[in-house]
Amino acid sequence: MNTLPRTAMLALAVSTLTLTTAAYAGEVVWWTPNWGEARAKELVEKFQAANPGITIKMEVTVSDGLPARVLTALQSGAAPDIIEVQHGWVNGYAQNDLVIPLDDTIQDANDYTKAALDYVSWGGKLWAIPYRIETHAIIYNKGLWKAAGLDPEKVPQTWAELVDDAAKIAASGVSGFAITGGGEVGNTIFRSLPFIWMNGGGIVSDDVKTAIVNQPAAVEAVKFYTDFYKNGQSPASTLQNDGAANRKLFIAQQVAAYQSGQFDVPSILKEAPSTEIGVFAIPHPEGKNTAAILGGWSYVIPKDAKNPGDAKTFLQFLSTSENQAFFTDTFPARISSMDADRFKDPILSVFKSMLPYGRPVPIHKNWVQITQAYFDGIQRILTGDQDVQAAMDQANEEIQALLDQ
Amino acid sequence: MNNRVGLYFALPALIVLFMLIAYPVAYTGLLSVTDKTGAWVGGSNFAAMLKPKVTTQAFVNTLWWVGGSIVFQVILGTAAAVLLNQNFWGRAAIRSITLIPWVVPGIVAATTWAWMFHTEFGIINYMMTSTHLVAKPVGWLTEPNLVLPVLIAINVWKLFPFVAIMVLAGLQSIPNDLYEAARVDGANFWHEVWHIMLPGVRPVLTAVTLLLVIWALNSITIIYAITRGGPANKTLITPIQIFRQAFESFSFNQAAALSVMFFAVVIVIVFIYIRVSSAEPGVAR
Repeated sequence: MNTLPRTAMLALAVSTLTLTTAAYAGEVVWWTPNWGEARAKELVEKFQAANPGITIKMEVTVSDGLPARVLTALQSGAAPDIIEVQHGWVNGYAQNDLVIPLDDTIQDANDYTKAALDYVSWGGKLWAIPYRIETHAIIYNKGLWKAAGLDPEKVPQTWAELVDDAAKIAASGVSGFAITGGGEVGNTIFRSLPFIWMNGGGIVSDDVKTAIVNQPAAVEAVKFYTDFYKNGQSPASTLQNDGAANRKLFIAQQVAAYQSGQFDVPSILKEAPSTEIGVFAIPHPEGKNTAAILGGWSYVIPKDAKNPGDAKTFLQFLSTSENQAFFTDTFPARISSMDADRFKDPILSVFKSMLPYGRPVPIHKNWVQITQAYFDGIQRILTGDQDVQAAMDQANEEIQALLDQ
Repeated sequence: MNNRVGLYFALPALIVLFMLIAYPVAYTGLLSVTDKTGAWVGGSNFAAMLKPKVTTQAFVNTLWWVGGSIVFQVILGTAAAVLLNQNFWGRAAIRSITLIPWVVPGIVAATTWAWMFHTEFGIINYMMTSTHLVAKPVGWLTEPNLVLPVLIAINVWKLFPFVAIMVLAGLQSIPNDLYEAARVDGANFWHEVWHIMLPGVRPVLTAVTLLLVIWALNSITIIYAITRGGPANKTLITPIQIFRQAFESFSFNQAAALSVMFFAVVIVIVFIYIRVSSAEPGVAR
């Protein structure tokens, strides 16, 4: 075969590739979730007007399957320039060297909620800029409380009161308090781990070296959580329910109360406008404080980003106090952003009051597998395979093996 | 000379095959004996995967899943083929309708079944409770002893039409003379099935079963879309465990180690199957 045409073809291919790469200069590709699309567009227009040399290319993501999609992009070498990810994912990326540190990008670090910054720090560096924070509270249906003969303004403060009220409502034929026991693992971690924390326990010790999920504090909390199902106060479908399923059951008037974030409120009001919704703080054991997992979203810049310089400029724009207040779906990570009018809605006040009790989940390279081992234990209790102590003993053993790796 | 020309023609395809198959397989092998930084760690990834109980549980589930699926797919598919091979009014329409489950995309079918089997909202429980067949909703996808059989049933529903259509093609290639000769000798319908149809479609059944085994061993869609391997890993099969390990836990090296072990087991199963099924061609004649 003649070598000349082949060489020419190669040369053509190479020059085409170079051209395509060159076209990226000045362009920042931003992966942003669909719920903020309209607000994101507005920010992009504002930014581009002020920075004519930089074009922002938005790519809208959806939450289903997002962790896998982000991870694939980060590993493939063909990553966008900015990705919005949940705080809890950031450490895995940092430890696998998939994102770059942003200590030089964050401005007014003192103005950020400390727990949010802790969440996305590792090895003394900051690997993401948090912009949205939230915790759960309990959303309840005042009408169903009245129907069960309860005073809807007198909400339960302690575990014992919650169990009491849930039992009274269950007697009226509706699930009193819906827990999750299915769907993606995170759903059940978010809802059950705070009960362990407020009881003084944990899944792993503070130094993240020892599994402690079979200790009395944790076992008592897990029993408290799973008993809602065992005693018929959580729906029969608990083992297949995630947060979204509980919301549907709440909208269908099958569930009187469940844990969730403020993002559920608009969709409940839209689908069941006549429902009278109330919110109360997550009940705690007598004489102890409540707790919640601090959730939310951060921006990361992948290691393989084509245009990290302009990406950082855009990130600083997104992270101004004003823009954080505008862009977040729940609460902003910056303390000064919280003064914005939109956070003064009375239905938000309980969610806001839960924020100081929000804690980051422990940081460990095997955390996802650790939560899976714990979640399997919860499911073994719910299916009746094992009692609480036996299930947590097995989980403890598996978690210890993961910690020792 | 001729051989070499042939090689030239095949070369582009071979190169593509090499890049798409040999390279990923070799790379998986490499991943399985290294850590995240690429350093050699010997068998420690394998040890870490073999230790948890869940690996054994997933493997046992895989055997049930594959065995249960294959047996019913082949029996039901062959029975459907024999029926569809008879002469009756509307046969063409019924043949087409039978194909529907196989044509529906896996994820669509799985999600639809998940909704139908849902304890609270599902139409199956709705029909059963409203006709008082059962007193309270059945936890189709949550009862530990019910969930794997339910998933196997869905898998059987999805793939038996494939068996039926392949076996039907085989049946149609059997010459009519054989049936006529048998009838002259006084054979009834069951004799025809047993002595003419089944021996006639034996090669088809062998090939189809092998395909079904491979598909069942690889299948993720139905189980992952419906239960994600839950509750309490009752429906976790090894391919899903590998997927979880890699894409939910980010530990690609351990996932690779599990893949290598699974690959070895599958190769052995397929090898035994091919040997057994090609060993006795004389018996069928």
